[in-house]
Amino acid sequence: MSTEFPALGHGIGLRPPHYAEVIEDHPPVDWFEVITENFMVAGGNPRHVLRKVRERYPVVLHGVSLSIGSVDPLDEKYLTGLVALADEIEPAWISDHLCWSSFGGHTGHDLWPLPFTEEALGHVVRRVQTVQERLRRRIIIENVSSYLEFGHSTLPEWEFLSEVARRADCGLLLDVNNVFVSAHNHGFEAARFLAGIPVERVKQIHLAGHRDEGTHLLDTHDHAVCDGVWDLYRAAVRRFGAVATIIERDDDIPPLSEVLAESRQAAAIEGEVLTALASSAEARSNVAGTHVG
Amino acid sequence: MSRERMSGETVGRSAAGPPLAEVQAHLYDLITAPEGAAKRLAELRRAPHDLEALVRSSGRLSAVERVDVYANMYFFRILEVLGDEFAKIVRLIGAEVFHNLITDYLLAHRPAHPSLREVGARLPAYLATHPLTEDRPWLSELARLDRLRFDLFDGPDAEALTLEAVRAMPPESLPELALRTVPCLATLATEFAIAPLWRALETPAASGHRAEVGGEGEPPPRSSGTFLVWRKDLTVFHRVLDADEIVCLPLLQAGTTFAAICDRALADAADSGVAARRAFELLARWIDDGALASAKTARPASRR
Repeated sequence: MSTEFPALGHGIGLRPPHYAEVIEDHPPVDWFEVITENFMVAGGNPRHVLRKVRERYPVVLHGVSLSIGSVDPLDEKYLTGLVALADEIEPAWISDHLCWSSFGGHTGHDLWPLPFTEEALGHVVRRVQTVQERLRRRIIIENVSSYLEFGHSTLPEWEFLSEVARRADCGLLLDVNNVFVSAHNHGFEAARFLAGIPVERVKQIHLAGHRDEGTHLLDTHDHAVCDGVWDLYRAAVRRFGAVATIIERDDDIPPLSEVLAESRQAAAIEGEVLTALASSAEARSNVAGTHVG
Repeated sequence: MSRERMSGETVGRSAAGPPLAEVQAHLYDLITAPEGAAKRLAELRRAPHDLEALVRSSGRLSAVERVDVYANMYFFRILEVLGDEFAKIVRLIGAEVFHNLITDYLLAHRPAHPSLREVGARLPAYLATHPLTEDRPWLSELARLDRLRFDLFDGPDAEALTLEAVRAMPPESLPELALRTVPCLATLATEFAIAPLWRALETPAASGHRAEVGGEGEPPPRSSGTFLVWRKDLTVFHRVLDADEIVCLPLLQAGTTFAAICDRALADAADSGVAARRAFELLARWIDDGALASAKTARPASRR
């Protein structure tokens, strides 16, 4: 088992409506992912909650503002704050998105897609390496949902993502819902995406809900995980095995019990798939043994 | 030159496209344009189909519509965050006017901080210059109070001075008791008596209800005052300061002694007995508020 990216099991994204219940009742969940920027503050309730949660659970810092693909310089103040937060919280790992979210010193507070070109690839790889040197650890990078593609892209997204991971030696956060949404929006086969991602690089999985806008799917995190995403998750488990997984919910947030139930559903699916794979492997082994015998 | 590329599945080695910096500059400009990508393209004297050289179109969505997905998310995410933070302003001016206010605000002050919590930092000051406040100048004061409370919510932690700690001191050393405020504390000078309106707006609004000032109470009368805003443990409080507290606060923020507070009280009192009583009243009040830092707390940096 990797100590750098331990097998954390099944967790959920920690969100403000659940803070009190989590720190008072200590619900049975393996770990929490927190939005980094929400805790890059001096003190008060956010840091109080994070300290209390960290006392009992593994925590992963998941950022939305690294802007790893922006042509703007990396935000040194942001990185300094991230290093300080990581030193205090000792997260299991740190993640952010394969996107750009700032330009000209301004931020968009969104996850804007990159053209999948050699120029963008080299740019992102250099910046991931710089960030990893600053953080003194490898990070993991997440595929985003997208609503547009660039005409001059020369690589499919999965190749671009895989090359970032290989060249920068970082891990990947596979957002299964984002694969589902982008596959729908751009008309590619989600299975092709999964097949193109190197197994050993995937350190975490995200599951979430989205909204159907008619002309496109929107990654809203305001619904439960849909059947199509659960099916894709089954395929992901078949390919990547037992990977630390969380449920994300960011809008129309239901009671904690509902989010935890989805996390248990993910664990059950993972268990079923891995059991079936093991049975299948055993059967093949028996057949092979019979022939040999 | 022909290219083989279909919906992310098959990618050919295309002719070089625009540099990444140019792509991001163009998209950022379109996404943050206040009235959508098509109108911005028109301002740039570009046809909508020009965008298709950069962004792939499809039967379901044109290139312009795809960029507008991002443009809408940019604006409405920020609008939602600011609507939550300045919910009282929304109640007073209505959602539609607030929408237009934020459109103007984002043109004047593009977000520049990595955290969304900072996106509203300059809205109160901007509001003070906006035509909306010409006949309602107290609106910006209301916004300043809520933003200050928001700032202090997750400011630095500090241990507060307790009455028990003061009582444990030898009486003769009380004059030299070091007094300074907790770091999560600030004052806010206002020209209008906004406290009653602020309290009235704390009650949840009925669904779809737009608060008229007359319905929430009369417009705040012009009456200058100073709020003390601070955080005790995890909760932010505010109250209007008495006149002699306003004079004492700068001393406390810089770090002073109880003797200096007594001297200050003496300046306003008829005799030393009255001054001493008032100095003790003030000390007890500040301690009860949780506004004073314990001796163990490091000297705070100035917040504003």
